[in-house]
Amino acid sequence: MCAKSELAPGDRVVVELDEVSIGVFNVGGQLYALRDHCPHKGGALCRGPVTGTTLPTRDFSHAYGRAGEIIRCAWHGWEFEIASGRSLVDPRIRAKTYPVEVADGQVYVVI
Amino acid sequence: MIDCDVHNSWSSSEVLLPYLDPYFRDVLARGELPGGRDSFPHAHRPWLHPEGFMRTDAVPPDGGAPGSNYELLCEQLLDRYDVEFAILTGGEAIEVSTLANPHLASALARAANDWTVAEWLPRDPRLRGSLVVAPQDPLGAAEEIRRLGDHPDLVQVLVSSGAERPYGDPFYHSIWAAASELDLPVAVHLGGQGGVNANPTGCGPPTFFWEAHALLCETGMGHVASLIAHGVFERFPNLRFVLIECGVAWLGPLLWRLDADYKALRKETPWLRRLPSEYAADHIRLTTQPLEQPRDERHLQAALEAIDGERTLLFATDYPHWDFDDPSRVGIPPAWRERVFSENARDLYRLPAKAPVPGEC
Repeated sequence: MCAKSELAPGDRVVVELDEVSIGVFNVGGQLYALRDHCPHKGGALCRGPVTGTTLPTRDFSHAYGRAGEIIRCAWHGWEFEIASGRSLVDPRIRAKTYPVEVADGQVYVVI
Repeated sequence: MIDCDVHNSWSSSEVLLPYLDPYFRDVLARGELPGGRDSFPHAHRPWLHPEGFMRTDAVPPDGGAPGSNYELLCEQLLDRYDVEFAILTGGEAIEVSTLANPHLASALARAANDWTVAEWLPRDPRLRGSLVVAPQDPLGAAEEIRRLGDHPDLVQVLVSSGAERPYGDPFYHSIWAAASELDLPVAVHLGGQGGVNANPTGCGPPTFFWEAHALLCETGMGHVASLIAHGVFERFPNLRFVLIECGVAWLGPLLWRLDADYKALRKETPWLRRLPSEYAADHIRLTTQPLEQPRDERHLQAALEAIDGERTLLFATDYPHWDFDDPSRVGIPPAWRERVFSENARDLYRLPAKAPVPGEC
C-alpha cells in the first residue's frame, strides 16, 4: 500500500483498501494496521492523535507514559493500544487489526 | 433527518467587528481577550477537556476552527447524513451569559446574530439559525428578540444553560414575554458555566472534566423545575423550551418527584393549575445528544418512554463536538425514528413539509 520509507517512526497513513479505511502506524519501528472504525460508536479511529497516556498509579499521582503507543479516536477520545487494537478502558473492546508485511521496501496490509 | 444542534463557528472573533456599534467594536478590537488573539470574550468554565472538545477530524484544510468551514460542514454532516435541515446554534456566542457587563454581552449577542444571518443562513436552504441573547440583560434580550425575531430563518431564541438564576425566576420573564410574543421556542443549550454563572451545586463543584460532563443534566433539571414552578407556562401558554445537550434520561424521574412534591405542597404556587409533568409534556422538548447508553438497552427504552420520547425528543448530532452522536448508530427505537429524527422538529420549528432542493456545495 505504500513505501516503507514513507512511514518513519511516529508516522501514520490512512488509506482505503477494498472500500475499507485502514490506518497503518509506525510505532518505534514496528508497523501495525487498524481498521479506521472505532468500536465505541463507529468514529474515525485512525484520524485522531497518536499519544501517550497516564499509567495506573496507586498513590493518586499522575505518571505519563506509553508515548506514541496509543491512538485516540478523533470523535469521543477513546484510547486504543495501536499494537493490539485493545481499548485501554476494557481490553475486551478491540479495534480490528490486520497483519502487516514488508517486502522489497513496500508495505502490505493483509486483509 | 433534521439536526437540531449544529455548531457553526468563526475562526476569529474579528468577524464580528463589522457588526458591532463603534464603542463595542473598539472594545473587541483593542480590549482584553482572556483567550488571546482572535478569541471571543467570555469567562470560561473551570473544567477543561484534556484533549480539547472538538472532533479532531473536523479541522478544516484551511486550518480554521471546526465548524467554521461551510464546505467541510456539507461534506461531514449535511451531505453525508442527508440532512434536511440543520439548526445552527453557533459556537461561543451563548457564552455572553458569563460576562459581568450586560451591555457588552448584549452587543456581542447582537453582532453574532447579525453575522449568522448575513454569512451563514443565505448559503444553504437547509440552514436555520438561532437568535442568541444575553439572559443577564433581560430588557436588552427582549429588545433583540423583537428586533430580529420575525426573520423567517431564525427558528428559536437561544441562551446558555449556565445562568445566575434558574430560568423560571421573574428576573427573566421579560425575555420569555418577547419570545412568546414572537411565537418562538426558547432553546437552553449547555454552556455558560463560568464568570457570573459560577454557581456551585449544592455540594460544590465537580473536579474532573468527565465528572462535570456526566453532570451536564444539572442545569437542565434546575431550569425545568423552575420554569414549571414559577408558572412560566401559565403566563405564556404558547411558549416551549428546548433543552439542548442536557441529557434526556433524567427527566422522567425528575417529573415523578416534582409531581409528588407538588401534590403535597401545591399551596406554595397557587398559580399552577396542572401537574408539573403535564406542563412538561406540552412545553418541554429535548435534543437527544448525548444520548445515555446503559448496558441494558431496555433501561434506556423505559427512560425514554417515561417522557413520551416519541413526541418530545429531537434528534441532534452536536457536530463538530467530541461527543457527537452519529445518526446511524444512536439508540432510538426504530418505530420512533420518523418523529424523533424529523417530524418533531418540523412541528416545533414550523419547517416546510418538503425539503428544498439541497444547495450545491
